[in-house]
Amino acid sequence: MWAEKYRPKTLDEIVNQKEIVSRLKSFVQEKNLPHLLLVGPAGVGKTTSVLALARDLYGPGYRNFVLELNASDERGIDVIRDKVKNFARTAAIASSVSFKILIMDEADSLTSAAQHALRRTMEIYTRTCRFCLLGNYSENIIDPIQSRCSIFRYSPLDESDAKGWIKYIAKNEDVEVLDEGLEALYQASGGDLRKATNLLQAAAATKSAIDDITVYEVLGKVSPERVRAMIQTALDGGFMESRDILRELLIDQGLAPDDIIRMTYSELMRHTGISEEWKVKLSDTVGEVDFRLTQGARPEIQLSTLLAHLALAGEKIR
Amino acid sequence: MSTDQPWTYRYRPKSKAEIVGNGEALDQLEKWLRSWEKGPPKKRAAFIHGPPGIGKTCAVQALAKEHNFDLMEVNASDSRSKTQIEEYIGKASGHTVNIFGQRRMILLDEMEGVSGQKDRGGIAAISDLLKITVNPIVMVATTIGENMQDKFRPLLDKAVLVEFQPVPFSDVYETLEIIAKEQGVTVHPEALETLAMKSGGDLRSAINDLETVARGRTRVEPEDVSWMKDRDRQDTTPNLINKIFSASSLREARHTISQSMIPYEDLFDWVYENLPLIIDDPDERLEALEVLAKADVYQNRARSADYRLLKYMFNLMTGGVAFAKKRSQGLGLMKQVQQAILRVGVPLSSFQTSEAKEGITVNPTRWLGRDKWGDLNSHMRGIGGKWVYGQNVWVVPYLREPQAKWRYIMTYHDRRKTKAVAEKLAQRTHTSTQEAVTETLPLLRIIYRASQESADVIDGWLELEDKEREFLSS
Repeated sequence: MWAEKYRPKTLDEIVNQKEIVSRLKSFVQEKNLPHLLLVGPAGVGKTTSVLALARDLYGPGYRNFVLELNASDERGIDVIRDKVKNFARTAAIASSVSFKILIMDEADSLTSAAQHALRRTMEIYTRTCRFCLLGNYSENIIDPIQSRCSIFRYSPLDESDAKGWIKYIAKNEDVEVLDEGLEALYQASGGDLRKATNLLQAAAATKSAIDDITVYEVLGKVSPERVRAMIQTALDGGFMESRDILRELLIDQGLAPDDIIRMTYSELMRHTGISEEWKVKLSDTVGEVDFRLTQGARPEIQLSTLLAHLALAGEKIR
Repeated sequence: MSTDQPWTYRYRPKSKAEIVGNGEALDQLEKWLRSWEKGPPKKRAAFIHGPPGIGKTCAVQALAKEHNFDLMEVNASDSRSKTQIEEYIGKASGHTVNIFGQRRMILLDEMEGVSGQKDRGGIAAISDLLKITVNPIVMVATTIGENMQDKFRPLLDKAVLVEFQPVPFSDVYETLEIIAKEQGVTVHPEALETLAMKSGGDLRSAINDLETVARGRTRVEPEDVSWMKDRDRQDTTPNLINKIFSASSLREARHTISQSMIPYEDLFDWVYENLPLIIDDPDERLEALEVLAKADVYQNRARSADYRLLKYMFNLMTGGVAFAKKRSQGLGLMKQVQQAILRVGVPLSSFQTSEAKEGITVNPTRWLGRDKWGDLNSHMRGIGGKWVYGQNVWVVPYLREPQAKWRYIMTYHDRRKTKAVAEKLAQRTHTSTQEAVTETLPLLRIIYRASQESADVIDGWLELEDKEREFLSS
C-alpha cells in the first residue's frame, strides 16, 4: 500500500518534526541511545522515525536487531515476561552497536501491572537493549517508566503539511485530486497521514478524479464510520436498524467489543449534533457499559442499551 | 452393542478416520502428539477450541487410543481450583507411564467452565503446569459467541492452538444419510436437508434431532421434521415468550423459567431478540432493555460468585421486562416489514399485508422481477421471514429465533479470514491487528477489487492464500 511505499526510510527523508528528528540523528551519530517514549496523535511519524532511526543505526540489516510489538494485540503481562525478556537478554552481535532496540507500539494500552513488569525488565536489560515506547498519551504511562525515558512529543501536522503530503503522493501516483477531494481527505483524516494515504489510495481505486463524494463513499466503509452510522441511525429513532449495525460490527466483522466502545465514545464526544450536557450524561451511560464489559457482561446486550438511550434521546439531545 | 444406546453415542467416532471434517486440525494435533516421541516438545499442551458438537473431545479420545496413550479426563464436573489441579493433575503430569507401562495423556475438557471464583487460581495453576508436565496435556474449550481470549491468555502462549470448525452442510447431510440407512429408516431428502441446515454445523445436535424423529419408524417425511421444528422452536418457546411479555404478576412471569424446554440462557436470548418488536415505545423499550442488561450482569455475577444469584436474574428477565411494557402496541414488526419493502425500492401498494395466526403475511400483488424478489427475500429473511412456496407469500413470524448465534455460525469463516489477513496486514504496516481490522482492511478490499493489477500487487505483498484471495475479492 502507498502508506508503506512512501514511508520515509531514513531520518533524512523525514520532513516534519524537525527538532525531534535532529535529536534522533545525534543519537545515531553517537551510536548510543536512551530509552525513548514517543507520544503524539496517530499518523504523525512516531513509528516511522523509530524505524528510520534503527535503519540509520544498524544499516539495511536492521531487522535483526529490532523487535516490534504492538501492545494492543498482546497487552498481557505474559508477553512482557516472555517475548520481551527473550529478546532483551541477548546482546546484539555482528553489529558495531552494542544494544538492540525493542519497539513497543501503543504502549499506553498496556495494563499498569504489565507496565510495572516492563519497568523492571527495562532496568535489568539496559545494557543489551533499548526500549522505544510509542503511544498517544503520556498520561497512561506510569511515572516510573516516564522517568526512565527521554520523552519526545510529536505535534499534530498542520493543514498545509498534511495537504502537501497528499498532493505529493497523488502527483507521484498520477492521480487527480480535486480541491473538494483534498479538503475531504484532510477533514476525514484529521492530519493522520497514514489514514489520509490509505483513503487516497482507496478513492483512487474507485474514481480517476477524486472529489469529496468519492472520499466520503470510501470513508463509509471503515469501521469508525459504521459506528457513526450506528449512532446516527439510533438518534434518528431506528433502534432495530442500529442494533443490526451493531451485530454487523460485533459478529460479521468480529470487532473486539472494547474497540466498539472506544469508537462509540469518541464519535459521541465529537458529534456536533449533541449538546454538551448530553455528552456528560452519555459519558455515564458508555462508562457503565464499558465497566460492565470488563466484568464479563455480554457486549451485545449492554451496547444495545446504549442504543436504546440514543433512540429515546433523539431530538432532545441537540 | 445394545440398540438402546443413544445414536450420538453409538455413532461416536472411534478413530481419527471416522471423524467428519476438520482434517487439517486433526493433522495438526497428531503432528504435535508425534513430536512427543522425542521427549517433551517446546509446547507441551494443545488448546482445542470451536463450536459445540463437532468432535473436539472425540478427536482427543480417538487419537489417544490410536497412539496408545492412557487418557486421563478432567471435565467441568470436577472442581478445578488451584490446589485440586496441583494435587490431581500435577501428580499425574509428573510420571510418564501408568502402572501398566502405558504413556499418559491428560485431557482438560470443558475449559470454558473453569470459573473465576469457584476455581480460584485454576488458570494460573494450569499455566504453571504446562511448563513442567512430562505428559501431553490437551485442553478443550467450546468458544461460541463469547470473547474468551482474555481468560485463557496465560495458557494460549504455551499451547499449540487448534481450531475446530463447524462441520460443512454436505458432510452433516451425508452422515445423517448413512446413519438413517444403517438404522433402516428411509428419510426424505428434504427432511435430511432441514435437519442438516438446522444444525448449523453441529453434527451432534443433528444426530440427536435425527434420532428424535426417526427412532422406531421406517420412513421420515418432510412434515415429520417440520412438526418437530414447530414443537421445538415455534410453539413452546414463543408461547413462553408471549407469556413473559403479557404477564400481570411476577409469579406468572417467573413461572416461565421452570416451564421452559430450553435453558434459561436461551430463553434470555429469545426475550432480548423479540423485546424491541413487542415493546416499541422508546421510553418503555429503554426501561426494559436496562432491566435485561441488569439481568445479564446478575448472570455474570452468578457465574463468578455464586449460583444463588441467578434468582435475581430470573426476576429481572421475566417480571422486570413484563412490567416495563405499558403503552407499547407491538407494532414494531409491521414497521419493519414496511421498511424492508421500502428499502428495496418497491411501493407498499404492490403488496397485501395481513396479520395471520402464524405471523404477518406479505403477498406481492404483482411480478417483482427476479432481482427485486431476491433482494426483498434477503431482507425478509433478515427479519425472520420465509417465502412459502405454493402460497407465494412471505410469512414473517411475530416472534423470531435469536439471531446472534445463527449469525455467528454463518459468518464464522469470514471472521477467521478477516483475522488472518489483518494479522499479515498489521505486521507489514506496523500497526495493531485491531487497527488493521477496523481501518485498513476495509480500504484494502476496495483497492483489491479495483483491478487485477492492484490485486496482484497486494497478493504478492501479503503472500495471500487461495481462501484469503477469494475472501478479499468477494
